[in-house]
Amino acid sequence: MNDDLKEQLKAHAGLAALYEQAVAEIGQAATSAELEEARVRHLGRKSGLSQLLRSIPELPAEERPVVGKYGNRARTALEQALAARKHELEAGELTRRLAAEQADITLPGEPFPRGHLHLITQTQWEIEDFFAGLGYRIAEGPEVETSYYNFTALNTPEGHPARSLHDTFFIQDKPDVLLRTHTSPVQIRVMEKEDPPVYVIIPGRVYRRDSDATHTPMFHQVEGLAVDEHITMADLKGTLEAFAKHMFGAGREIRLRPHYFPFTEPSVEVDVSCMICGGAGCRSCKHSGWLEILGAGMVDPNVFGFVDYEPDEVTGFAFGMGVERIAMLKHGITDLRMFYDNDMRFINQF
Amino acid sequence: MKVPVSWLKEFVDTGLSAEKLAERLALTGTEVERISHAGLPADGGNLDRFVIGQVKSRAPHPDADRLSLCEVDLGGGRSEQIVCGAKNFQAGDKAAVCLPGGMLPGRPEPLRAAKIRGVESHGMMCSEAELGLSGESAGIMILPEDAPVGARLVDHLPLSDDVLELEITPNRPDCLSMYGVAREVAAVTGAPLAPEPVADAAPRGDDTIGELVSVSVADERLCPRYGARLIAGVSVAESPAWLKARITAAGMRPVNNVVDITNYVMWTLGQPMHAFDLARIAGRQLAVRRAARGEKIITIDGSERRLTPDMLVIADAEGPVAIAGIMGGEASEVSAATTDILLEAANFNGRSVMETSMALGLRSESSTRFEKGLDQELAPKALAMAARLMVEITGGRLVPGEIDIQARPFMPAAVRLRPGRVEALLGIRVPDEEIKSILTRLGFGVREKEGELLVTIPSYRADVEREVDVIEEIARVFGLGLIPPTLPSDMRVLGGLSPEQQARRSVARALVERGLTEVISYSFIAPDFGDRLRLDADDGRREVVALANPLSVEQSVMRTMMLPSLLTTLAANLSLQNQDVNIFELGRIYRPAAGEDLCDERRLIAGCLSGSLQGHSWMTGGGTAGFFTGKGMVEAIFASIAGDFTVERASEPFLHPGKSAAIVAGGRQAGYVGEVHPLVLEAFDIDTPVVAFEILEQELLASGAGIIVFEDLITYPASFQDLAVVVEVDRPADEIIGVISDAGAPLLKSVRVFDIFTGEQIGAGKKSVALSLEFRSPERTLTDEDVAAARASIVTALAEKLGASLRA
Repeated sequence: MNDDLKEQLKAHAGLAALYEQAVAEIGQAATSAELEEARVRHLGRKSGLSQLLRSIPELPAEERPVVGKYGNRARTALEQALAARKHELEAGELTRRLAAEQADITLPGEPFPRGHLHLITQTQWEIEDFFAGLGYRIAEGPEVETSYYNFTALNTPEGHPARSLHDTFFIQDKPDVLLRTHTSPVQIRVMEKEDPPVYVIIPGRVYRRDSDATHTPMFHQVEGLAVDEHITMADLKGTLEAFAKHMFGAGREIRLRPHYFPFTEPSVEVDVSCMICGGAGCRSCKHSGWLEILGAGMVDPNVFGFVDYEPDEVTGFAFGMGVERIAMLKHGITDLRMFYDNDMRFINQF
Repeated sequence: MKVPVSWLKEFVDTGLSAEKLAERLALTGTEVERISHAGLPADGGNLDRFVIGQVKSRAPHPDADRLSLCEVDLGGGRSEQIVCGAKNFQAGDKAAVCLPGGMLPGRPEPLRAAKIRGVESHGMMCSEAELGLSGESAGIMILPEDAPVGARLVDHLPLSDDVLELEITPNRPDCLSMYGVAREVAAVTGAPLAPEPVADAAPRGDDTIGELVSVSVADERLCPRYGARLIAGVSVAESPAWLKARITAAGMRPVNNVVDITNYVMWTLGQPMHAFDLARIAGRQLAVRRAARGEKIITIDGSERRLTPDMLVIADAEGPVAIAGIMGGEASEVSAATTDILLEAANFNGRSVMETSMALGLRSESSTRFEKGLDQELAPKALAMAARLMVEITGGRLVPGEIDIQARPFMPAAVRLRPGRVEALLGIRVPDEEIKSILTRLGFGVREKEGELLVTIPSYRADVEREVDVIEEIARVFGLGLIPPTLPSDMRVLGGLSPEQQARRSVARALVERGLTEVISYSFIAPDFGDRLRLDADDGRREVVALANPLSVEQSVMRTMMLPSLLTTLAANLSLQNQDVNIFELGRIYRPAAGEDLCDERRLIAGCLSGSLQGHSWMTGGGTAGFFTGKGMVEAIFASIAGDFTVERASEPFLHPGKSAAIVAGGRQAGYVGEVHPLVLEAFDIDTPVVAFEILEQELLASGAGIIVFEDLITYPASFQDLAVVVEVDRPADEIIGVISDAGAPLLKSVRVFDIFTGEQIGAGKKSVALSLEFRSPERTLTDEDVAAARASIVTALAEKLGASLRA
């Protein structure tokens, strides 16, 4: 079109000259400011073109149609050229400005600090979620407990040798009240309140009067209890095997070793194949290939007697694990006491 | 329980290595804590370097008076020259010879052939101490005349042994003995078991035990059986080497032949025994009775023990001579001068022994066995075995007759076993023949009766009382590894977290996401927390649940507040130079509940902030936590469960009086938030400002909205207006918002303070509060006139009720 226009403008030498010069200056403008100057000079009210267009009535008659027709077209063309040049210049300026803004991208980003859940809580939640997914509820109970729930109803009558295995904290002036030594008393409380089927896990703080490199006077347990019409030891084994694979990896295996607990019969200890050496034997598993993770067994009929369940109608299994032990095995923690030092340098690692 | 393998082999030979045997035991219920080695090191052919030699000649060393020069026959025509420093031997004696290269226990280097004062010595004649048989010895060990010259020493004396260290569970006291372990090993491996080593001695003489001593049992419940034998004319001396070796390998110290025999029998059969010096039993009479009030005894460890009437003793005419089942008395202890001994093997009530043992703080190998409940049938067997060994080793004479007082003879119990019950409990079918075989190997009697099995329980397995106990025996020997893994089927239950449990997690996550780190502290704290927190003397939080037997005073009372725990943790972290310690804990507090056994346990969310929540970087500068940081955190907690709260001025003595608030939720006190009082910080050695909060979980969760119902904020847009109100400087923002909210209803949706300004332009004693108001209607888009009218009534109300003006 501009080439057409050039041809057409030849009909009026003055107009042609104005146009040519304006096009040249717009094209030469190197900055937005120069371009603005060019706009004022060539398209402003006082520009030659504006004056020429305003003077049409005074022009000779033969010039009037030419200037009228092509003058406005020239003006439009110049406005377009101006806009195009403006766009060009701005793009260049933006590019240069951005090019000058070089951030040191190796500096760290703005911090949005996040805290950390204690590793015990993380581990406990992971255990809870696994069993919740299997259909278990989470039950809770008192930490200051009576010896009836902590021992007697768990088939550990007074004078039973197993009582001496527990170093128990007692409450002052209340010889039958103590800090629970395991979360098992909640089993009894749940079964007293509810008829079978019962599928619960019981997490919580427990206390034993012991303090050295491998014992803290308070620690955490998760107890599990399943009582129904048809529960077998095979169900216990399958449940714990699935649990071990969930916590320690799909390649893990478990084995049951017979053991003794007053409230289960048969009783077992459960080992998981060593996650460090894969079962080949290493220092962590004392070269046995196995690590003990929990105790379990079939609920002793005497326990059912205490909660008025009928041992010929229901069977059940129970298991109990130390949360700290699970966490230590999983994360390679060597000193139990670190859990309770509450040093940020420990907690904030997880 | 230490089990030397060679000793075990006397009763059962499995052909398994110690490691394999340990594994089999572990998988059938007997945990092997470790396998250790006792005596001479066994590796590298070391045991071949210890042989029986005979001294052919002994001559003085040419250059040293104290040494002798010996020619020692080592069998097979070989003899060596050995220099020896001992004096207790002569030509013809047989000795234990360590050849060059032999490793003695506890020595870093093997023995070398060497020149001693210029004379070659090619070995060493060993003392008992050097072989690890006793602590010290005066000379070399002289072997019996019939010891075969040239043979390996270990083939004649148990001087090198693998030792299985077993953890025996409290239900299996029968395994606290070598023969008991052997019986278990035979059952779980199928290896044949030797008969019990209870051959008796032949009595000699015309007298009888009944003429020489009388025994009476006054308390049959605490002493169901009391047996005794009399050995006359013993010579108390050192035990023979084999006996010392056994005693040592089992982890005890040899004492003398009489004591060693009683210990040896205890270790072999599991029956604790005691030997009295008959001459020192006053009146030649023993009574098994409860101690009289005020009675005392000096036990053989030299301590005086005060006895109480619930303790069972053995007493002579003058008083207690032994604490039944626990320890004998010094006065009747066997000594070098003893000639006649009364051997005791009794059965004492387990619980009574345990209680006495705990009351006296005195435990012994004997008491640990009795307290678990011992087999009544063991006592006569132990007496027979001990009598035979006494006669053989001490040269004594078994006096005819025995004492055996038993109130009721032992009657074996029988248990019905329904074969279907085995599968119902274990989830696997165990063939009938297998069941019978397992039970028989364990010593149970098995008889079929009407499709069921009648199982007779042996005397040493009092732990088996019921069908389920028998099933456990079957399961553990059959192999738990054979049980298939399955999951419970047809679970007609709903699982998962309760709403409360989910809410608790939401709170924890909300705090973690805002930069707080969870800590877990002990539930028991030091009792001086009330003073450190400046609590009034009658403050209810000073009433604590105290432990009767705390480990230390620092951990002696159950906490009634979480703040002391958190401040302690904070202080510890600050002293470790840990930066930005902002912590919280989800835990319980414990308050005494009058008239109740249990206490009032409440769950709490508590936090302490002391540092920046923005972190530190080249961009941001950090900062410290103040009241509004704490309040913001409380707001975040309530927001995480869609709950709501208001605040009131607090008057907690441990908080800054002006920068603290009581939290009220649903009209109930739910906790506090505030800057911690400087004096409290000082009491906890904290030198940086701290803001703290504690919120009762129950009140928090009660304020939660539950299910959130949709509100249409989209169809009709809101209209926003800003308002700057000038009020007295101490006018609470809450009051301004309250007036605005009332006056702006129903179109006013929310009011938010976005600036507070004081200064000359506002005037002394005044402040300007800038608020952003949001108006909306659920039915239409509001017009300018709607909003203007609402705003006008707000401005009027502010002027009328608060005397407030708009900022010019």
